[in-house]
Amino acid sequence: MSKTKAESGESSASSIENVIVQLAKEKPSGISNDDIRNAIPDTPLEIWTKIINKLLKSGILELFKDQGVLLYKYKDPSKKTEIKGSDNEEKVVYKIIEEAGTKGIWIRDIRVKSNLNMTQLNKVLKSLETKKYIKAVKSVSASKKKVYMLYDLEPDSSVTGGAWYQDQDFESEFVDVLNQQCHRFLEEKRETSIKMGGGPLMARNRSYATASDVHKFISELGISKVQLSVNDIESILYTVVLDNKAERILNSSGEYLYRAIKTFLPTNGIVSTTCGICPIEGRCAENALINPKTCKYITDWLSD
Amino acid sequence: MSLYQGKLLHLILLERFGPIVADVGKALFEFPRSLFHVRKTTGFPLLKVKESLSILIKFNLASFKLNHDGTTATYRLIIDNILLMLRYPKFINLIKMKMEDEAETLVEELLYKGCSTASELIIKTATRLKENKDIGTLLKQLKDKFASLVTAKYFIRLKNANTQEQELFAVPTIDLKQLSSIMNGSDETPADESIYWTLNPDRFHQDLRDQLVVNAVTNKFDENTGELMRIFLQQMYIRTSPWVPVSNLIPVLEVKDIVKKQKTHPQLLAFFDQYVNILEQDGNNIIQKAGEASGGSFQIEMKKIFTQLTWEIMEQLVNEKFDTKASRIFRLVKCRRYIEPEEIQHLVMMPSKEVKRITYQLFEENFVLLNELKRSITNSGPNKSFTLFYIQLTQLVRTTLELSYKTLFNIMTRRHHEKFLNKRIIDKKQRVDTISMGMRVQGASVDQLTDIEEMITPPEAEALAKIGKMMKKLNVAELEIDDTIFLLQMYLAYE
Repeated sequence: MSKTKAESGESSASSIENVIVQLAKEKPSGISNDDIRNAIPDTPLEIWTKIINKLLKSGILELFKDQGVLLYKYKDPSKKTEIKGSDNEEKVVYKIIEEAGTKGIWIRDIRVKSNLNMTQLNKVLKSLETKKYIKAVKSVSASKKKVYMLYDLEPDSSVTGGAWYQDQDFESEFVDVLNQQCHRFLEEKRETSIKMGGGPLMARNRSYATASDVHKFISELGISKVQLSVNDIESILYTVVLDNKAERILNSSGEYLYRAIKTFLPTNGIVSTTCGICPIEGRCAENALINPKTCKYITDWLSD
Repeated sequence: MSLYQGKLLHLILLERFGPIVADVGKALFEFPRSLFHVRKTTGFPLLKVKESLSILIKFNLASFKLNHDGTTATYRLIIDNILLMLRYPKFINLIKMKMEDEAETLVEELLYKGCSTASELIIKTATRLKENKDIGTLLKQLKDKFASLVTAKYFIRLKNANTQEQELFAVPTIDLKQLSSIMNGSDETPADESIYWTLNPDRFHQDLRDQLVVNAVTNKFDENTGELMRIFLQQMYIRTSPWVPVSNLIPVLEVKDIVKKQKTHPQLLAFFDQYVNILEQDGNNIIQKAGEASGGSFQIEMKKIFTQLTWEIMEQLVNEKFDTKASRIFRLVKCRRYIEPEEIQHLVMMPSKEVKRITYQLFEENFVLLNELKRSITNSGPNKSFTLFYIQLTQLVRTTLELSYKTLFNIMTRRHHEKFLNKRIIDKKQRVDTISMGMRVQGASVDQLTDIEEMITPPEAEALAKIGKMMKKLNVAELEIDDTIFLLQMYLAYE
């Protein structure tokens, strides 16, 4: 008698399991304990908690907490299969990395989130990496900082740096060339607009260029191997503005307009002598080893 | 008041008045002293100290105040006036450009003397200029020039206890007949015996300032806009006292009338409104529209102009001292006022490592400052603190001013040193020059003259040419650094 009861208990357990999974599938936002109790009112508490625990352990259900209420969510078993043969730690770490998406996640943040210690975490990460579940990507913002993300994801441009980076190296020559070309374009535009005559106001307004104008010019030049977006050009143009070679204004339609400008002052006195720009000025004094009477910089400056 | 300022003052005094005055000046620079105190510190005989002090006072380089006991006085150095001596060539040049040669000689003579009565000054100048000229007309000319220099406030009357405010720029009575008889050797006392005049540096600075602004505008825009700016400044003085940060209203019609009358800039007249527009719409706030009455009136934002110019000097300094990349970062910090290092890296388009290197180099040399904002420790977890870079212009200006003094000091020291090193050859050249001059007066033949001139060998001549070039370069550098000092001082004056 007791044996049959146990058997019927087992069969009812599998049916209850199906009911719960079905329920969870229908409600992607998650089901609470109350939902389950309402769905299977005649099953005792200890039985379905056992089933829930089993489901959680096998990864079919996930546990969440929302405003103090425990929620169970159904998890797609196709994703689960990827970490087959992994232990609990690996699953936790995998989940954390998965949540980080294309931006990736730093190892320290994983440690904080997973509460694993460093050696254990390193082991887990290594094993996940060899199984090709995840990959490490070097971030451009800090060369030593590695971020982890799922193996088949394309890293975000904030991680790779976009068009300006090649293998984590910033291509400064490329940016410099673009900076010069942008300035040249604006300067030429200014000169032609002055030559065209008309009033000074007209000449000024003609000399403004939008980023898309410059973008067109740069694309036609063909100096870039990669396809640059207008936004890329915009940031290059901003460096021209920062070099005080151009000014930027906002036009009525919310676009930035750029124009080549000149400075107020020609080179002033302090920078035309050696002392004003001397790197070891702080160590120079009248009777010191470095002194104005024998200073080599001044000698060079005087003799050229 | 700084170390290098003191050293620089010593050098300036040394060059112009010799070692004793320089040492007395140095003693007074340290702190104000009484006569006996000065004698004790310097160790010179009393007579010499007295002489030096009176020289300093005559040139308005020192002042004195009676002590409480009523018998002794404390002497104090006027530092600004000593530094001003470096600017004298510019003052003379300015007058030469604005007025004629006679006025220039008047200014020059007054600078030589420190202070002088009008009659004395005119006689002195007349003796210098009297070659090939009729004395009567020359004196008349000089008198007129003197009067115009006083009315234009280039000369100012030295104050005594009874001087009224309105007397400062009142033209004194000058008796021409008396002057010509004094020049012919009679010993009459001139009518304006006790009225002494000296230079009014403020007025010169005002002109130099205007010149600077006009040049800057011309540089940035074009000739016509520069001319417009000049007329605006000229009109400013009608309603505004010269040193206020923001001028009173200037009706634009007045300016237009002047452009019309002038007829020198047809382009400016044709597109007058547009030029005004350009000047107004520029992001640097040079002039600002303040009223619509009578076709619009504008204010000149002197303070803002000088702030802008000072920024540009600082940017140039960073640019030359470090790199264009550094000046890019510097400008970014300037634009954003407070900025995080990550944001700098994002915006300047440079490798992050280099950005870090440059920013911290700038920080090390005090061009940018750093402000760390820490969160309170109450919340657990890793604490993020914010690092913000910013620039304090006034502080930077003061540092740069100090650097300028040091540069000037270095340049002048070097000049002295080079002179000292090449003393022999320079002396020889002078001797040869005097001899050949003397012989020419005596009517020596061409052969004899070439003989004398050949005493300087070709290598020596070459060396002399080199020294001459060097001295010229050093002198030019001195004047240029003074330009920078002037601009920075203007900024501080408006601050």
